[in-house]
Amino acid sequence: MTIVTIEQRSREAAMTRQREQPPKSGGILIRGLGKTFDGNQRVEALLAVDLAVRQGEFLCIVGPSGCGKTTLLRILAGLEQPTAGSVEFDIQRDDRPLQSMVFQEQSVFPWLTVLDNVAFGLTVRGVARREREKIARGYLTKLGLDHFARAYPRQLSGGMRQRVNLARAFANDPAILLMDEPLASLDEQTKMLVQEDLLRLWEGSSKTVIFITHSLDEAIVLGDRVAVMSHRPARIKVAYEISLPRPRNALELRNNPDFIVARAQVWDALREEVLSADAAIEPSHG
Amino acid sequence: MAESQLRSANQVSGTRARRSSRREFGARAPLERLVSVGSPIVLLIAWEIAARLHWIDVRILPAPTVVVATIIDLFRNADLAGDTWATIERFLMGMAVGTIPGVFVGLTMGLFRWVGIVLNPIFALFYNVPRIALFPLVLILVGLNDTSNILMIALGPFFTMLITSMGAVMNVEPIYRDVARNFNARPRHLYLMVTLPAITPALMDGLRLSVGLGLLGTIAVEFLVADNGLGHLIWNSWQVLSLKQSMAGLVVAAVVGWFFYGSLALLERVVMPWQRRTTFV
Repeated sequence: MTIVTIEQRSREAAMTRQREQPPKSGGILIRGLGKTFDGNQRVEALLAVDLAVRQGEFLCIVGPSGCGKTTLLRILAGLEQPTAGSVEFDIQRDDRPLQSMVFQEQSVFPWLTVLDNVAFGLTVRGVARREREKIARGYLTKLGLDHFARAYPRQLSGGMRQRVNLARAFANDPAILLMDEPLASLDEQTKMLVQEDLLRLWEGSSKTVIFITHSLDEAIVLGDRVAVMSHRPARIKVAYEISLPRPRNALELRNNPDFIVARAQVWDALREEVLSADAAIEPSHG
Repeated sequence: MAESQLRSANQVSGTRARRSSRREFGARAPLERLVSVGSPIVLLIAWEIAARLHWIDVRILPAPTVVVATIIDLFRNADLAGDTWATIERFLMGMAVGTIPGVFVGLTMGLFRWVGIVLNPIFALFYNVPRIALFPLVLILVGLNDTSNILMIALGPFFTMLITSMGAVMNVEPIYRDVARNFNARPRHLYLMVTLPAITPALMDGLRLSVGLGLLGTIAVEFLVADNGLGHLIWNSWQVLSLKQSMAGLVVAAVVGWFFYGSLALLERVVMPWQRRTTFV
């Protein structure tokens, strides 16, 4: 675990610090990141995104729908190329992968067993069968999926499938986890249970997480910091420190007065963006 | 934990529900099954009666019992077993030489845009040439031997699997490729662990078409150049106007076809354990 210094708590301070010396393991420095899609219609998805992500931090990003959150994450995941700006990852990593993504929707391979799905990253990296199955089984145990190691995803509930999805990314043991609304498709009760599983996995891991969500509650329950994105073309509008104590309990936290204060604060910032996003859309509709 | 226990209970009841729905279908089935088995039998009996009463010319269309007797006779006194085996061997070789490269090339064309752009027009050109018309050319290039026969047989399955797999790759949910890319999957894994299983259902359909085309190719090639095999038997018997024998060869060829077509349902269960699909053979 890393102790976060006071200087790093302010975004600007963190950036100046990191310009002087390379960021620590698992840190990310995003500078002036832009992405324009050239199709039939030119779409400016991202406009000069500046963001310093601290090592070991759980950073949640919220923003109006369609604002480019996913685009930002896909650039970090290496699935899209930016058209402007730069992303600096920490370079100090041994044989561990830099980042793994937890995708939204159904990204668990239906044709692989639960165990093979969780071990996918390790298989691809050439880890021997016994070793990778040991690691994968470890995560299945932590998530209560022991008995389903040999089952196929279609035999599981939605919540269990998303646990497999999480386990697949954790088992790959990357320095950074990128999560693209992984719990969006779950019902409220299941979502809370999986949130707790996620917190439990992460709290012992010292991994940096960037978690995209459209749910304010989820962002505050999970995050050390919640960044609000503006509507398209997106930039980071503001980032709030969430100083709620850890380990957190997803259900109890929702009644914590600090939670409610934080929620109101973030909502104020987000509300303007949602409203201006709606205003921007209206003319084209009528 | 509680949730997973609950789920396992659900799962059990789920399979039970699926089974019982199958039983429901089974309960409705006896009459349907009786009719579906019965209708060809009625046709055969009608044919037999018509032949015995000489309503039809038995020199052209011998009775079913005569055909069966001829088959038995040919197995005993001629080399029908050898002919059948020769046909099966050519068919299987042709299928292997056609389908495996077909799937591989189709996958590659679907996965890599530029490979598709380069190869697509070439294959489109060849695909539209009537394949049997290529036979003389193949014979000159490869020689008058079984290798050219097998190449000819392979062409139909090759193009079928190529087109099926290329199309199927393009329809694979992009998220699976994103996962593979994000985990830095090497080509080996992209092919074997992600894309190939993703398109297996489509490949099974392609195989069904390929079996028919492969058998067609086998018989056609045997008509033309082979000196054994069922095609040779059928054609040769017809040329000496022994329609009994020709008919016997036809029936055995049909049985071979049914056998391979039917075994695909079995193959489907083996290669897609994650998916039980109802197929009506």
